Amino acid sequence: MSMTTYILRRVAWAVVASLIVLTLTFMLLYFTPDTQLAELQFQAAQAGDDPSEIGEAYESYYGYDQPIHVQYVDFMGNMLSLDWGWSETRAQPVTTAIADAIPYSMMYGVPSVIISTVLGIAIGLYSATNQYTRSDYAATFFAFFGLSIPDFWFAIILLVIFGVMLGWVPILFDTSVAVFSLENAQQLILPIIVLTLSSIASLMRYSRAEALEYVEAEFVKTAKAKGVEGRRILTRHIFRPASVPLATILVGDLLGIILVSSYLIEVVYGIPGLGMLSFRAIINQDTPLVMGTVLLPAFLTIIGNLAQDVAYTVLDPRIDYGDS
Amino acid sequence: MSVDTDTHGSAGSRETFEDVDWEQVDDAHRSLSLKAIIIASIYTVFAAGVIYDYVIKTPGTDTIGTLGVNLQALDWLYILTLLSILCFVVVPLYENKRMTRYYWRQFRKNKAAVISLIYLGIIFVIGSIGPRFLDRPTVNPSNAYQPPVFMSVEEWMPVECAGEVSGGRCHGTWAHPLGTTHEGKDILVSVIYGMEVSMQVGLIAAMITITIAAIVGVSAAYFGGWIDAVLMRYVDIQITFPTFFLYLMVVYLYGGSLFSMIVIFGLLGWGGIARIVRSEALQRREEEYVLAAKNAGASSYWTMRRHLLPNVSNSVITAVTLLIPGLILFEASLAFLGLGDPTVPSWGEVIASGRDDLQYAWWISTIPGVFLFFTILAFNFIGDALRDALDPRSEGSGE
Repeated sequence: MSMTTYILRRVAWAVVASLIVLTLTFMLLYFTPDTQLAELQFQAAQAGDDPSEIGEAYESYYGYDQPIHVQYVDFMGNMLSLDWGWSETRAQPVTTAIADAIPYSMMYGVPSVIISTVLGIAIGLYSATNQYTRSDYAATFFAFFGLSIPDFWFAIILLVIFGVMLGWVPILFDTSVAVFSLENAQQLILPIIVLTLSSIASLMRYSRAEALEYVEAEFVKTAKAKGVEGRRILTRHIFRPASVPLATILVGDLLGIILVSSYLIEVVYGIPGLGMLSFRAIINQDTPLVMGTVLLPAFLTIIGNLAQDVAYTVLDPRIDYGDS
Repeated sequence: MSVDTDTHGSAGSRETFEDVDWEQVDDAHRSLSLKAIIIASIYTVFAAGVIYDYVIKTPGTDTIGTLGVNLQALDWLYILTLLSILCFVVVPLYENKRMTRYYWRQFRKNKAAVISLIYLGIIFVIGSIGPRFLDRPTVNPSNAYQPPVFMSVEEWMPVECAGEVSGGRCHGTWAHPLGTTHEGKDILVSVIYGMEVSMQVGLIAAMITITIAAIVGVSAAYFGGWIDAVLMRYVDIQITFPTFFLYLMVVYLYGGSLFSMIVIFGLLGWGGIARIVRSEALQRREEEYVLAAKNAGASSYWTMRRHLLPNVSNSVITAVTLLIPGLILFEASLAFLGLGDPTVPSWGEVIASGRDDLQYAWWISTIPGVFLFFTILAFNFIGDALRDALDPRSEGSGE
């Protein structure tokens, strides 16, 4: 199988996975008793109206009286045309609410991804070339610390120490400050630290393990014997072959960690990003907004996995395009 | 070769290959051993208990009325998990003393892992016994904000100081060794209840994961062909589906419960491990002993059960040990967000309850957080040590 067919198959597979996710969502929604309807009927009954009449009006308004396949086609059509419904609590379309929230998630997410990628790989490579030295043990200890510390707990502890006790950072997130200003950097520094810590650990461990495979490789020994300088060996002979599997970890695993961590971090720091939007929607029982904010990370994960597989095939010429 | 050198002259005194009564041998091996009978009867008793609880007894009453014990679905699952650990981990380790000693020697090299094991053992024992004897932490506003023992806070903070008041400060007492929350719940008791919750989350989900991952991975590798294709394509989908967000959706639509959380994590989290099992089993399938077993007429089930499964178990155990801390952290995170099980006192919930008081009453969020951190750390350490001890390929690199 050629590379193009393989990539096309992978893309087709991602589309199928997305459709399955959507179908599952539809089924969940379809078979759940509608709390909003029950509420309306209760109100109607209290006001002396006929509850079943209200129920019918409500169902025909939202199209819930249609047979299941019509509703399903409607639902899928709406989802694909990015008509994700109307958020009652925010009085705006779900897609607009999400578009408003994304910049806030990016503000700390992007710097954190860059820092953890660069630092994580650098420390991992350093550990691998200086195996079983004091700094390697320190890096390993740090990795275990980052892997094990509950991020939401670490986030509130940092907020109390640096926000409340020392007063170095603001306690409440201020959306009115300019994006590229000192105030904004000040209030974003803790979220960046927490998110970086939770994602850097696995990167460090992976890059150390990957680089270790090449530290003792024949071509590295040859390069050393020829008198190639240390930095060049590290970047050209160790980092390059190790970067291929690393690139795949970067997208797939990192995305998963960041999507979940950011949810908690935003709730702790009050950042009005995607996680906060989703959390508020759950608390306020805003069904279309819950679906939108939960489906978006699901699609991002699918796309991330796709990108990971494509990156792997493009980067590594040795890969076998077989089925397994 | 030995058959060739074996002269027929001495056949009368020695039993040769041809003399063996294979039917007798087959019978001896096929009849159930004592161990198999005991294990089977343990599970039968368990199944009888479940049937009694859900089918026979009047709904809504206690499981064992006279003792006032009422078992929920989660408790039954937990019992099943503990039974399985006993039958498939403790008993084999006891039977194979030589291998156990070998593993222990490897494992012991890692001091951090040994300490972690002791720590988790203590958490498990206290978490299993504590909730049987301690009453659930209850809301008691007059008891709020008691500081931990040996600590003191400003006198005005607790409504009524349980300990002695001296110099305008309220001192902690042994009545509440770790202090109380803003609702007056005792933190030590909450932490002990949280131990059981964390162990249930980790162990039950791990058991579901191991069972499914082993069956799927081994069958995919052994049968190959379309079975392999279907199973692995399904795994592809499942891995891309973010469990955390699916659970959020389920919580939103149906309300959260610890049972549904564990079952969802268990049923949807096995994909990665099934892949590991499959790739391991694929290598093992080509080994001589598997071919020999097949040639000797072993059935598929027998080959998988006796030859493939035991040889992939090492990597499964390691992978699961590294999976458990993630599950415990998930549960705590969800409880922290208030999306967990509202009826269960979990560490995450206690951390959340002390969030707003952190600058006045630091102990409420800090203490359960420390337990959570060390539990996750301990599992990570043990998983890392197991990888070194059980994985023969890593030998040498860990020295």
